[in-house]
Amino acid sequence: MTAIIAVSAVALATIGLGAWGVRLARTTSDLFVASRAVTPWWNAAAISGEYLSAASFLGIAGLHMRIGAAALWLPLGFTAGYLALLLFVAAPLRRYGSYTIPDFAEARLTSAHIRTLAAVIVLAIGAMYLVPQLKGAGLTLGEVTGAPYWLGIAIVAAIVAGNVGLGGMRGITYVQAFQYWVKTFAIAVPACILLIHLGGLPERAALFGRELPTAGASGLVVQLDDSQRVEFPRATSYTLDGRLQRARAGEKRELQGRLVLPPGATVPVADGTTAKSGAEWTEPVSPGGDASPVFVYSLLIATFLGTMGLPHILVRFYTNPDGPAARRTTVRVLGMLGLFYLFPAVYGLLGRALVPELYVTGATDVVVLRLPEAAWPGTGGELLGALVAAGAFAAFMSTASGLLVSVAGTLSFDLWGRRERTAVQRRRAFRVAALGGMVVPAVLALGARGLDISLLVGWAFAVAASTFCPLLLLGIWWTRLTTSGAAAGMVAGGLVATGCILCGLAVGDGSGEVLGSLLAQPAALSVPLAFATMVGVSLRGRRRVDSRAQMLALHGPEGLGLEELGFGRRVT
Amino acid sequence: MRARPAREELAETTAVGEIYLRRLIRAQLSLSLTALLSFGGVFAGLPLALWLAPGVDDIVIFGVPLPLLVLCVAVFPILIAVGLLYERRANALDEAFRELVGGPEDR
Repeated sequence: MTAIIAVSAVALATIGLGAWGVRLARTTSDLFVASRAVTPWWNAAAISGEYLSAASFLGIAGLHMRIGAAALWLPLGFTAGYLALLLFVAAPLRRYGSYTIPDFAEARLTSAHIRTLAAVIVLAIGAMYLVPQLKGAGLTLGEVTGAPYWLGIAIVAAIVAGNVGLGGMRGITYVQAFQYWVKTFAIAVPACILLIHLGGLPERAALFGRELPTAGASGLVVQLDDSQRVEFPRATSYTLDGRLQRARAGEKRELQGRLVLPPGATVPVADGTTAKSGAEWTEPVSPGGDASPVFVYSLLIATFLGTMGLPHILVRFYTNPDGPAARRTTVRVLGMLGLFYLFPAVYGLLGRALVPELYVTGATDVVVLRLPEAAWPGTGGELLGALVAAGAFAAFMSTASGLLVSVAGTLSFDLWGRRERTAVQRRRAFRVAALGGMVVPAVLALGARGLDISLLVGWAFAVAASTFCPLLLLGIWWTRLTTSGAAAGMVAGGLVATGCILCGLAVGDGSGEVLGSLLAQPAALSVPLAFATMVGVSLRGRRRVDSRAQMLALHGPEGLGLEELGFGRRVT
Repeated sequence: MRARPAREELAETTAVGEIYLRRLIRAQLSLSLTALLSFGGVFAGLPLALWLAPGVDDIVIFGVPLPLLVLCVAVFPILIAVGLLYERRANALDEAFRELVGGPEDR
């Protein structure tokens, strides 16, 4: 009940702030001028607020619980992505005045075709990155209220599409900044309070020692409504719907009904999860499986280089007044993300000790939501659980809103809205696109119930890293990039990354360590390929456009008064 | 004859202006690459180090194994420090360039 109130409060606050923001944006004669008043602290909170998604709030802790410390490379890569952005992209792109990647591609390469290609890739990444947000919403609402999976998806999709369609989320820096603090508070406070309540980390043997996850001192009861295939890592007895049974070590069984494990019994794990001892589980890198060095490096490349290519990231830099402010903001984003990412691992650790039933059901993605009440039965746990659920909803809504703004903008402006001349027509096209852009991800999310959040997120990052990252880096720093080079590189990178992941899904686990790792996270392969294609094709073509003026717009510092000398900085 | 102000050369993208600008871009790029390498050394070496270093799993601080602490806590201050240092140096390069070519206030 408390949780429903907390979640509704966050949803209502989002709608309310959105509606208030509409009025704010209208009374300001020029949104651009208004946004110059936003300080780097507010801006950094807004960027972080939009970035911390379902994958960060639920996914990291869930993956940590399932595969162990190897999952903790994710937050490092997510944060380091902003360092790449700071070093190579933030200030030049801010000076250039392009706020979306299709915009940048068209202006830098003076070609409308490359804009269309970039727009298509934005749509693909945006839609795929929306799916995990909606899936998270369905899971969370089901977990908190017992509502069916589709209801959470429908509610969040409707709120976000409505809000964005009415223009509420556009340029509303303060809403996103507020969401950052909601999320950080909602993940940090329960983690700290639970650690104090428990007096530190419990069950050290299962966490860091030789033990597999066990049923605890009072046994474990799991209600399996659907048939679940599990593997018993050790021999144990159990009762299923009251009948006593025994399983041998390594045996696989289909279970359905009320499963009761005796105190201290080793917990069976769902298909697709490997039972690991505490010591194995704590290793950030280990040969084989989901923590192999190849996989870790590929994941680091994807997140480090992919962040700058996500459709909703660069738009936010629009609110910075100039290049130095863009740099300052990005450094603060590093700090704010670092603060948030201290906490998901706490849920992974406590979850392994206190909610081992998630290993049986395989639904480790809900560990953040399930943990407070399991660790602290009673009112305290219920309040903390409500807080966490509210934070999770803030995460889905802020990221989904940012993504949908990009997707709808791309749909309505880049792909078919260019014929519509008047502002009214353009606004109508944007609204229709906001509604339409939500339908496809929502349908996909309904079908993606069994799919891991981390898989979809990994795909989005891999594609972003192998298409937009080379486009941005070479476009900003290399004068000889040509249109055909950029197009060939993006197509090659995007296709190889997508192809690998589809192959990986088709082949399953039986493809060997190195190959299997690359199929699951192809960035280590597709990113160098995309760069090589872009450079190779560009060098082979004729050197055409004179890019000196472009380079000056990208790299010329502010305060030179170049504008008054007749040099036009691109202004949108 | 008075020499043309450098900023006019820049705005008209003359050969002289291009040399100025190219020098700035080179300097900025090598700064970024230096920052990338200094952080990338840590970033890229960490998985290997944690994988290969013997006994690193057995070091326990405040009841938590060292690899976990490194991964969850220690990397973030390094990231922020690299970012801060880079920001200062990059702004200084821009400032030096402004002084070189002269802003509108020098007229």
